[in-house]
Amino acid sequence: MKKLLALLFMVGLYVALVVPLGDHLRERPLNVKLGYTPDARLLKLVAGGQQTILAESMTLKVIFYFGTVIEHWIQQEFVQPEYFNMFKTIEAAAILDPYNMDTYYFAQAAFTWELGRAKDVNRLLEHGMKYRDWDESLPFYAGFNSAYFLQDYDSAAKYMQKAAEVSGNSMYTNLAARFFYEAGDSRMGVAFLETMIRQAKNPQVKRLYEMRRDVLLAVQTLETGVADFAERFGKQPTELEQLVVRGLIAELPLDPYGGQFFLDDKGRVRTTSKFTEKLAVEPDKGE
Amino acid sequence: MTSDSNCAVESSGLIEITGLSKTYRSKKLALVEALKNLDLLIGKGEVFGFLGPNGAGKSTTIKILTGQIRQTAGSAQLAGQTVSDYRCRRDLGYLPENPVFYDYLTATEYLAFVGRAFGMSDSVIRQRAGEVLGLLDLQHAAKRPMRGFSKGMVQRLGLAQTLIHDPQVFIFDEPMSGLDPVGRALVKQLIKDLKRQGKTVFFSTHITADVEEICDRVGVIVQGQLRAVDKVSDIVIGDTDNYRLHVRHGDGSVIEEIVSRNMLKQKVVNAWADQGALEKVVPVGRNLEDYFLDIVNNVNK
Amino acid sequence: MNGFWVVLIAALRGFLRDRVLHALLGFALLLLVLAPVFSLFSMRQVQELSTTVALSAISLTLLVLAVMLGGFSVWRDVERRYTASVLGLPIPRSSYLLGKFAAVAVVLMSTSIFLGFVSLVSVHIAASFYPPDRSLDLMNFMAAIAACSLKYILLSAFALLFSSLSTSFFLPVFGSLAVYLAGGATQEVVEYVTGPSAQSLSNSLITTVKGLYYLLPNFAAFDLSFQAIYGIPLSVEGLLLTFGYFLVYTSLLLLLACYCLARREFP
Repeated sequence: MKKLLALLFMVGLYVALVVPLGDHLRERPLNVKLGYTPDARLLKLVAGGQQTILAESMTLKVIFYFGTVIEHWIQQEFVQPEYFNMFKTIEAAAILDPYNMDTYYFAQAAFTWELGRAKDVNRLLEHGMKYRDWDESLPFYAGFNSAYFLQDYDSAAKYMQKAAEVSGNSMYTNLAARFFYEAGDSRMGVAFLETMIRQAKNPQVKRLYEMRRDVLLAVQTLETGVADFAERFGKQPTELEQLVVRGLIAELPLDPYGGQFFLDDKGRVRTTSKFTEKLAVEPDKGE
Repeated sequence: MTSDSNCAVESSGLIEITGLSKTYRSKKLALVEALKNLDLLIGKGEVFGFLGPNGAGKSTTIKILTGQIRQTAGSAQLAGQTVSDYRCRRDLGYLPENPVFYDYLTATEYLAFVGRAFGMSDSVIRQRAGEVLGLLDLQHAAKRPMRGFSKGMVQRLGLAQTLIHDPQVFIFDEPMSGLDPVGRALVKQLIKDLKRQGKTVFFSTHITADVEEICDRVGVIVQGQLRAVDKVSDIVIGDTDNYRLHVRHGDGSVIEEIVSRNMLKQKVVNAWADQGALEKVVPVGRNLEDYFLDIVNNVNK
Repeated sequence: MNGFWVVLIAALRGFLRDRVLHALLGFALLLLVLAPVFSLFSMRQVQELSTTVALSAISLTLLVLAVMLGGFSVWRDVERRYTASVLGLPIPRSSYLLGKFAAVAVVLMSTSIFLGFVSLVSVHIAASFYPPDRSLDLMNFMAAIAACSLKYILLSAFALLFSSLSTSFFLPVFGSLAVYLAGGATQEVVEYVTGPSAQSLSNSLITTVKGLYYLLPNFAAFDLSFQAIYGIPLSVEGLLLTFGYFLVYTSLLLLLACYCLARREFP
């Protein structure tokens, strides 16, 4: 009887402790959750034949971590992701297991748009192409990044050519042509995102792509409105509200990231949501 | 160490077993009755031999007595305390069957381990360890790890560790196994010495000669059931019907003759009358071995 | 109480004389000595990398120790029938088990203190090759090692529980390894399934995961390596919660193990 009471007491104590502990851990800073990944060359040395599973777990860890970041974004709460650690981890995973498509797919999904690391991602994709030489999606991503983010149309054409060769599909050469034509246009972004949304299996990644597409579509609507306004009234609008007042658009679209759209002093469509300042709504030209 | 439960014990036995049974399931899930309704009372100062063929239930009984397995039914007490309580072993010296000890320890370290478990002080342990190692002829191996011990040495150390705290009750499971003739003689002498000191010894064996030589009483267990409990002297002497006479005659020849109890006196007188020398008169009884085999054979019929 | 100390001392003697243990400690020392060399792989974060290598080496060593000592110490006694001679002494089984546990805990603790000291020297040497912007936070480093050893002491209690249940070494060794892997993942998994991204999962799965989360140990609480590597401030509340959690969880495991061992038969 005494023993049973002692046991019940301990169990009660356990319950009393485990709940606040769980809450405490849930509230851990995001960077603690991601942890620190040592250099891949060192990891390879000590992985002892388990590189593949190690790489996969590292990639999953980053995807998981980024998922929590996206949750915050969806809730209109800006958090700065641990870019350095995330990219280092993904890079290490790609070195440990250069064949793992998850790694490249995630790098393309996460690092290009909001984080603006297209150059780094292309370096990673180049690394992957050496191994996944049958896979057209890597040069396809790289081609898109070169054209859309980096405005490096020569490289973009080369990548698309490669994608066409690997896949035997002329669609990519057509895409290359379209990249030249629509250079810097948000329509190109929308087209790419639509492709990625169709391919996406992970619901979170899909959600991310949809958010981006929605922003781009909203920007497209507004840009068309601004152009119509200029054409009709012979001057640029100073406020986006003017488009609604004049009946050019029904209402101002919402920024999925929680900001407000506005016109900057150069007459370009911008948003107040903090991190979409980095979002490539309109790629910087003239670099 | 002196017993604090001696007084409680005088009235009953030091080892008291009532209706003890043990049933377990074999690997094929069949019920096996290892021990059936065992009653046994062993008093102070008694040397009791627990005799039975292999697999008869001797070890099962001893394992219940030393708290390693639990009985299915019945009760067992050591020095008035139920065997499921570890405190009943405070006045017990126990030697397991084919014992093994932490072989990374030296003989002295192991004895200290046992002594401390019995709450002895280090100085007493040191003194007693020297004594018991001497008693079992192990002084030369005192500082050696037991890893290098021969089987006989381990067995002797096993006996030494039952002695260190000078308990009142001893339980030995097959104490002679693995010993050479010198070792056996040593153990027999040891048990006789314990008896002289008024200790209680309960040991199992399947060798009748050992029982015959050193036990007061013997219990025979066959197929889990106690078949007989008798005084050894009754078995060996009580059944003596005949005598073997060795008579040396004048021409130097020796004649052996078996004579009945009734005829003994007449024959002795005759031998004297014939100028012969009466060399030996040996009582010929049923010995313990016959007694034991009779019981086993009866059960098997 | 007497039996506890007797078993503790005898078990410690056994561990100290175990050759496999010597070899393992030698290997850990080698890793730590090599940590400064490994850390030269990193151009920018020499101190961080050497701290990581040191903490990983300690963690790995303690894992092997916890599983080996916790899984084998009682199992071997049963398997080689040492229990016949030891449990025939007036030692209650609970004292025997707790003595064994305490011996494992003492070895884990002293190993982590010893290796922790060596790794401090090792990290210091590594940092001298390429002086870091910020020197090592000693408190965090020690806290990380202490938390790590608590984690493995808890794991060894699992191994002991399993060996008080099972006659083969399979359950104690592989069971505690499984607990180790699962315990390291529960926090992340439960955060995933309770997050909005897992709405498509079935309710019964979520309930199962939550049940396992509260049943299995949560080793994420004991992982302070990031705080040690980057000198991020520790939360006192978190440390206290973790320590209390360790005490209660380990006590529960030991209670359960004592209960199982008391019921065990040694034929």
